[in-house]
Amino acid sequence: MLFSGIPFLYLFLPLVLILYFIAPTKLKNFVLMLSSVFFYAWGERKYVIMLLLSVLFGYVFGLLIEKTRGKAASRLFLVLSVIQNLGFLCYFKYADFFIENFNAATGLSVPLLGVVLPIGISFYTFQILSYTVDVYRGDVAAQKNFVTLAAYITMFPQLIAGPIVRYSDVALQLGERTHSFEKAAVGIRRFVFGLAKKVLLANRLGEFCDIFRASDEQSVIFYWVYGIAYMLHIYFDFSGYSDMAIGLGKVFGFDFIENFNYPFISKSATEFWRRWHMSLGTWFRDYVYIPMGGNRVSFLRHVFNILTVWMLTGFWHGAEWNFVIWGLYFAIVLMLEKAFLLKLLKNSKVISRIYALVIVLISFLIFNATKLSMAWTDIRSIFGFGGLPLFSHETAVYLRGYGLTLIISAFAATPVAAHCLSKLRGKAAAAVSVCECFVLPAMFIICTAYLVDGSFNPFLYFRF
Amino acid sequence: MKKRIKSILLCTVFVLMIGILSVWFLLKGENGYSVSERRELAKFPKLDFETVMNGSFTSEFEDYCRDRFPARDSFRSVKAVSEFFIFGNTTCNGFYLHDGHIGKTEYPMNTSSLDGAAEKIKFLYDKFLSGNVENTYFSLIIDKNAFLTEGAKVLSMDYNEYEKYITEKLSFAEYISIYELLGADDFYFTDQHWKQESIVDVADKISGAMGNPISESFEKIKLDNPFYGTYYSQAALPHEPDDIYYLTNDMIESCVITSLDTGTPEKAEMYNMKNAFGRDPYEMYLCGSQAIMRIDNPNADTDKKLVVFRDSFGSSIVPLMVESYSSITLVDTRYIINSAFLGNYIDFSEFDDALFLYSTLILNNSTMMK
Repeated sequence: MLFSGIPFLYLFLPLVLILYFIAPTKLKNFVLMLSSVFFYAWGERKYVIMLLLSVLFGYVFGLLIEKTRGKAASRLFLVLSVIQNLGFLCYFKYADFFIENFNAATGLSVPLLGVVLPIGISFYTFQILSYTVDVYRGDVAAQKNFVTLAAYITMFPQLIAGPIVRYSDVALQLGERTHSFEKAAVGIRRFVFGLAKKVLLANRLGEFCDIFRASDEQSVIFYWVYGIAYMLHIYFDFSGYSDMAIGLGKVFGFDFIENFNYPFISKSATEFWRRWHMSLGTWFRDYVYIPMGGNRVSFLRHVFNILTVWMLTGFWHGAEWNFVIWGLYFAIVLMLEKAFLLKLLKNSKVISRIYALVIVLISFLIFNATKLSMAWTDIRSIFGFGGLPLFSHETAVYLRGYGLTLIISAFAATPVAAHCLSKLRGKAAAAVSVCECFVLPAMFIICTAYLVDGSFNPFLYFRF
Repeated sequence: MKKRIKSILLCTVFVLMIGILSVWFLLKGENGYSVSERRELAKFPKLDFETVMNGSFTSEFEDYCRDRFPARDSFRSVKAVSEFFIFGNTTCNGFYLHDGHIGKTEYPMNTSSLDGAAEKIKFLYDKFLSGNVENTYFSLIIDKNAFLTEGAKVLSMDYNEYEKYITEKLSFAEYISIYELLGADDFYFTDQHWKQESIVDVADKISGAMGNPISESFEKIKLDNPFYGTYYSQAALPHEPDDIYYLTNDMIESCVITSLDTGTPEKAEMYNMKNAFGRDPYEMYLCGSQAIMRIDNPNADTDKKLVVFRDSFGSSIVPLMVESYSSITLVDTRYIINSAFLGNYIDFSEFDDALFLYSTLILNNSTMMK
C-alpha cells in the first residue's frame, strides 16, 4: 500500500487512527503492530510470515544476548543474529546476482533461483541488526515485550522505505509517549508537504524522465535537463516518503530521525552524504566503518575501510553492478576530497556547489542505469560525446511543458522557501497559521486530485 | 495556548476533510458508466483466496478506489486546472489548449501502425473490391492537431510526411487529398471531429474526384442543446460548449437508412435526434457507432452504388454525398469481429465505386481496425 494512494489516505489511515486513539494506552502498540502487519501484507502477502519470523528472531536473540551478557555465548548469539539477518537479505536480494556472476565467470549454468525481493527487507533487516548490536554493546536493554518490539520493527510509517529508525532512538517512546494536538499538527504539516513533494513534484519529474528515455530526439541539453530532473525526482520521491513517515510518526507520538537536509546545497560530495539518506549513512558509519577501525588505522587499511563501506552502501541499494560502481565512485571522490579537493573547494562557494551538483548528477546517471553500458552512454552523451545534437525541437517542447516544474523543484530543494516561511512566521505568526489552515488542505485536495486521475505513482526506494 | 488552538484548528480541518470524503466514499453507490470519460468505471474486484494471494485483488482495488472516489469529475478538473495554470504545463493527460480549442497530442507518427492499417485496407481491397468495383479511392482526413500544434507548442507529427507515407502504401487506390481544404475552424472546439457545416467543400472535392460534384444546396439547422465534445469530457477542463448543426435538403430527407449492425436490416436515421440529445450529440450523424449502414436514395441522379470504409468522421460527410449514388454502404471495421466475413452481409459485386475514408488518428492507432 502506498502512502500516496487513495486506499491508504481515505480508508486505511482513518480506520487505523480511529482504532489507535480509542485503544487504551497499553493496547496502542498492539494496534500499531496489527495495522502494520496488515499494511505490509497488502503489498507483500507471501513474505509477511518472513517479516514476523525476522522480528521473532530479533526478539529471541535480543533476550539471549542480554541474558548471557559478558559471556562468550552473548557474542555467539550476536553472530547468529547477524548471520540470520544477512542470510535472509543475501538469499532474497543477492542470491541470483551471485549465481549470475558465478555462471559468467565459470561458464557454468547454475539455474537462477528467481526469488522475488520482499518489500522493505533492506530497511527492516538493518533495524533488527542495529537492535541486536546495540543490545550486545549494552547501549539499550533488550525489549521484553514481543508486541512492543514488533510494533517498532513493523511500524508502517517507516517499515518499507525508512528512515532506518534505530531502536535506541524510539525505545523510550515505545514504552511511553505523548500524544498532543501540537505534535499531530506538526505531523500533519510534515505529511502534507511530503505528499505534495511526492505527488506534485516527484511524479511529474518522473514522467519527464520517462519521456526522455522514450524520446527519439535526444540532445545534449535534453540530457542535462534529464540528469537534473532525475536527481530532483529521486530526491523528492525519497525525501517526500521520509517526510510522510516522520509526519505519521509524530501523529502516533514518535520522533523519527531526519533523513534529508537539503542535500543539493552541499559544497562537496562529503557534505552531500551528510545531508542525503542520513539514516543509512550513519548506520554504515556506526555498524560497519567504526567497527572496522574507521580512520584510526594505517593508511592502506583506511583506504580499504572506505572502499568496503561505500561498496556495501552501493550494494545495499540493489544487486546490480551499477550500484557497486556507484558506491565505489563515491568512495574515490570522497578520498580525493579528503586528500586535497576539500581544501581547493573552500576557495569558492559557487564553484564548490557546482562541483558537488555535477558529481552527484553523474552519480545518479550510474545509479539509474539498468546496465553499465547504459551508464557509460549517458555519461558520454551528457558531455557531448554521444554524437547527439546540442538541442532539438523535442527538447524545446518538453522544456516548455516541464520548465516550471523544474524551476519549482529546484527552488523547493533549497532551504530558501523554509527560511522565508520561518521569517514570516516570526513576523506574522497568526496570519501564517490561518493561511496554513487553508493552504495545507488545498495542497491535500490537489494531491488527491492527482491521485484520483493518475496512474504514474511508483516509489523508487521500494525496490531497495 | 495560542499554539494549541492553532494546532486543534488544523487537526480539526483535516479530520473533517478526510472524514467526510472517507464516509462519502464508503456510502457512495457502485461504479457505473462514466459519461465524461466514455468508459465503464472499475467494479469491485473479485475477492477470494487466490486473488488475494496473487495480488490481483489489491492492485485492482487501487483502480477501483480511484474510479469510485466521490466527485471524481471535479477532482479531475482540479488536476487539469492545476496542470495548466499552476505548473504551466502545455498538456495534461495528452490534452492541450490553443485558440479556444481542446486538442489531444498525437505523436509520433507510428509507422508500424500505418503499415498495419495499410495491410488491413489492402486485405479488404484484395478480398472484396478487386475485380468487383470499377474505381477505388482513398482520402485521408487530417486531424486538427495539424492546424493547432504549432501555436500550442506541443509535439506534432509531420502531416505531409504522414500523407506521403500512407498514400505510397495504398497505391492501388486513387488518392484524393483534402489537406488544403481543412483548417482549425473546420473542427469543433471541444471534440476531435469536423463540423458538418464546414466540410461541404471537402465533400464536393471528394465527390468531384469520383466524378460526381455536388450540385444540391443544404439547409443548415442548429440544434438547441449545447455540444460538449469528447475532448471536453476527457480533458476535464472548464470550457464553453460548441454549437452543433446538421445539413439537410429534400433529397437527404427522402433517403432510406438501414442499419445492418445485427445482421438483420433495421430502420435507422440519417440524423438521429435521440442521439443528438444524448451523451454524445455527434452520434446523431448516421446514428453514431455502426458497423454496417446503407443509405438508399430513390431520387439519386444515377443508379451507381458506392461502398465507403470509414471511421466516425465519415458519419457527418457521407450524408452530403448522397445525390449521385442510388445506394451508399458504410462499413466501420472497428465494430466488426472479423472483416474477413463481411461478404456474408454485403454483396460487393453490386458496387461501382469504393472509397476508403480514414482520419490520421485512426490509422496512427490501427489496432482497433479489424
